[in-house]
Amino acid sequence: MTDPGPTAEAALQAALGWLRKQSDVRYAEVRFVEGAGEHLRVRDGRPEQVATEATRGVGIRVLGAKAWGFACTADTSEGELLAAAARALSIARASAQIARAPVLFPEQAPARGTYETRVAADPFAIALETKLGALDSPVRALRAGDPRLVSAEAWMDWTRQTKRLLTTEGTDVTQRFTFGSCGMHVFARGDDGVSQRRSYPCWQGGDGFQAGWERVGALDLDGNVDRIKDEALALLRAPACPAGTRTLLLESSQVGLQIHESCGHPTELDRAMGSEISLAGGSFLQPGLLGKLRYGSPLVTLVADATSDGGNGTFGWDDEGVPAGKHALVEGGLFVDYLSSRETAAALGRGSTGTMRAEAWNRAPIIRMVNVSLEPGVAGTLEDLVADTADGILVATDRSWSIDDIRLNFQFSCEIAWEIRRGKRTRIVRNPFYTGITPRFWNSCDAVCGPSEWRLWGITSCGKGDPMQVMHVGHGASPARFRDVTVGSTS
Amino acid sequence: MTWRGADLLTLCQDALRAAGEAEVEIYARMAERGCARFAMGELGQHMQLSEPYAVVRVAHGQRVAEAATSRLDRETLVRTIGDAARAAKHIPEVEGFPGFAEKDDVPLEAAPRFAEATARATPEERVERLTPVLQAIRAAGMVSAGMLETSHAALAVATTRGCARSHDGTIASFRVWALETAGAGGAAGYGGQLHRDIHALRLADETERAIRVCRTSRDPASLDAGTYDVVMEPEAATELLEWLAMIAFAAPEVEQGTSPLAGRLGERITGENIDLVENPLDPSELGFGAPFDREGTRRQRVALVERGVARAVLYDRTYAARAGATSSGSALAPAPGSPGGVGATSVALGPGTASSVDELLADVDRGLYICRLHYVNGLLEPRRAVMTGLTRDGCFLVERGKIARPVGNLRFTDSLLEGLARCDGMTRTRRAVPTWWSDTGAFVSPAIRMRAFRFNGKSQERPSLAP
Repeated sequence: MTDPGPTAEAALQAALGWLRKQSDVRYAEVRFVEGAGEHLRVRDGRPEQVATEATRGVGIRVLGAKAWGFACTADTSEGELLAAAARALSIARASAQIARAPVLFPEQAPARGTYETRVAADPFAIALETKLGALDSPVRALRAGDPRLVSAEAWMDWTRQTKRLLTTEGTDVTQRFTFGSCGMHVFARGDDGVSQRRSYPCWQGGDGFQAGWERVGALDLDGNVDRIKDEALALLRAPACPAGTRTLLLESSQVGLQIHESCGHPTELDRAMGSEISLAGGSFLQPGLLGKLRYGSPLVTLVADATSDGGNGTFGWDDEGVPAGKHALVEGGLFVDYLSSRETAAALGRGSTGTMRAEAWNRAPIIRMVNVSLEPGVAGTLEDLVADTADGILVATDRSWSIDDIRLNFQFSCEIAWEIRRGKRTRIVRNPFYTGITPRFWNSCDAVCGPSEWRLWGITSCGKGDPMQVMHVGHGASPARFRDVTVGSTS
Repeated sequence: MTWRGADLLTLCQDALRAAGEAEVEIYARMAERGCARFAMGELGQHMQLSEPYAVVRVAHGQRVAEAATSRLDRETLVRTIGDAARAAKHIPEVEGFPGFAEKDDVPLEAAPRFAEATARATPEERVERLTPVLQAIRAAGMVSAGMLETSHAALAVATTRGCARSHDGTIASFRVWALETAGAGGAAGYGGQLHRDIHALRLADETERAIRVCRTSRDPASLDAGTYDVVMEPEAATELLEWLAMIAFAAPEVEQGTSPLAGRLGERITGENIDLVENPLDPSELGFGAPFDREGTRRQRVALVERGVARAVLYDRTYAARAGATSSGSALAPAPGSPGGVGATSVALGPGTASSVDELLADVDRGLYICRLHYVNGLLEPRRAVMTGLTRDGCFLVERGKIARPVGNLRFTDSLLEGLARCDGMTRTRRAVPTWWSDTGAFVSPAIRMRAFRFNGKSQERPSLAP
């Protein structure tokens, strides 16, 4: 595991030491982050993006007598870190001028240790030609055989991040993450000029994970080329998804995005309390509903698990030094807890669920989803669920997503849907969308497939905060069934 | 040190000379942002953000590799050039790559973009300016939220072919909400303004606007989904235009065939009264951003849609060469985790002829007055520009030309191009609204009236508790 190096290490300690000596500093954290990234994208047989990036810097967050201040620097010399610490404190002091009451921030036992992603094959050690070849091969195959297959693209992204967190409470943890994502899609265009897209393995950006190059092989892009080509071509002549109130089956990745928008975000306690109005809005899940609101049916148990192996939202400690944990948010359908921070949880008289993370060294931590997942049920496989459905619609692979500013009214459109009649998939229908109200929708869940179908998906581009911060988060899910859902077509 | 564009340019040129590579481009940016974010009536997040970033591209023939760094010093830039050069040896050729930008001695249009007062704004000054904002909203019995940001971005582009550009721009941005509840929904009002000069921000006026809308939004009636004539404030209209820009105007989407403009240049795609212009050089206070793009190409005013007819798309150098066109200076600057690409940053709609929003409302028998939109998504059917989203921060029923009462938030799903074909009114005055994905651009729109916009759902239902 890399570390900041002796010079920067001494500078970090000097900044922390200076902050400890300031009489009005109640708490401070000094967070060193060094990152490396690689972004590869092949489109229609040519490299669209071959890029690397390196970043290194320190963020300093200070809680003064009444308020917070944050400053940062890319220069990790002692002089610059001391200056950044002084800037953060001066901001906290300036903000205190209009603070009505001191921030409530309970103490946290100091944490020490290391965390590292389990990596079998280091993606940064794999030759560039090998990685580009792994993308070029499916792209060429996706375009072959039919002139209506007009464009294809495949991509992979790798990020390695080393994070060292030191706090005035004595926390000293070092974490080294390796994130990856990979995917592909193809566009087919019909005589009417309208395109249909099919993607693998999931929505835009592909499936994100914490692992190494070994995950790319396991994804088997080449092995899924023919299926998504056939489906893209079939969509060109498919009828529009019929509108109505229907039984709806969501495949696993769509359940993941449904969780993301209608459970993950509304259970963020900063959002529920009102801290996120300036970008994302609030939440219908207000503290008075804790332990009282029947969020979903008894089959619905949603957990926030920052310890899931290989999850995009897995870590050892959050950016306030709280250890990763597993917490039920919805248990047997009942809303029971939030994604929280030390400050927000204290406002409810609770302990933090350890979800504060910052995108980079030059951003302050905010509450972020970890791996927020639906526990598997007992409905067997997806095909078992189809066989158990007399009449319905099965949708797969998200295309658009939208939800209101308190996370109640949602609408998703998907790339493809199949009608189900008497327990069998029948025809493909195109441009499907479904819409609903969050607790009504989750209360209509009457089947969740079993552990064999459960998969931990990763979203690489969850946006939150102001200025916006993009974060890696995860969602585990099995396919699930929902009754009496409004379904339609955008056609 | 406080970076200026000229300093960055000197650094980039030094690094180019020291690296010794034949074909290199460096784009460098240093932004210092002071962000005072308030919520729940308190200044909860107050931050000084440094954003140094340099992106190097090295070409070996038509093999082009890119490497970026957050360290702005000569040694690091030279090392980054070396990294990109090594990668360039191993990758396939980029079809159409024309080489990096050449020397251009014609002076750039110098639109005013910089205000010293904004660049020098301190945490104490932001607090001082926000204090009456928070007090006014509290005095109105409401909860405040929002952001006051002061930023200075220095930019430079240098290439081994002699292109040398630098720029300094400042933005003072104020967004404010007055809310009935802190985070649980209910009545809300928004105000906001963007200007290069912090002294030009009218914080009191915008705060009053937010309070007024919140006050008049209380106790909304529940309105059924359906088809309504709508009058949208500029903040709502620009949200739709941002999505249109993302799916429609850039060469990659046109080449891929997913853009509504693909194969339709010269055809009518929307109403005759619709003019859409990419206008990065706007010298008025509605203009923001640098006069050159990340490749150093001078940016151009591009008429995208003229009297409803699709006229042009936006190019960078490579897509332009491939299409036999000229770059419009639309290469987007990359940022950490974001690849850049090609696209619009400064789309402007209109203006129209109506003297006020009231004049637009006067010709609505039964419809909606919409202050803002939320979570618009334009990926449903990009070819038709079908979008969905919700109203937010003020939605009112209009009857017989007057605002009748507030209504709960509604979800729309409709084609924007078809909606604009039914647009029959726009105001003369326009507002610049900051794009949510960038701190350097703004879209410009009048208030607009569209007939028969389709709404398919409503929100603000309260969940029932367990027994």
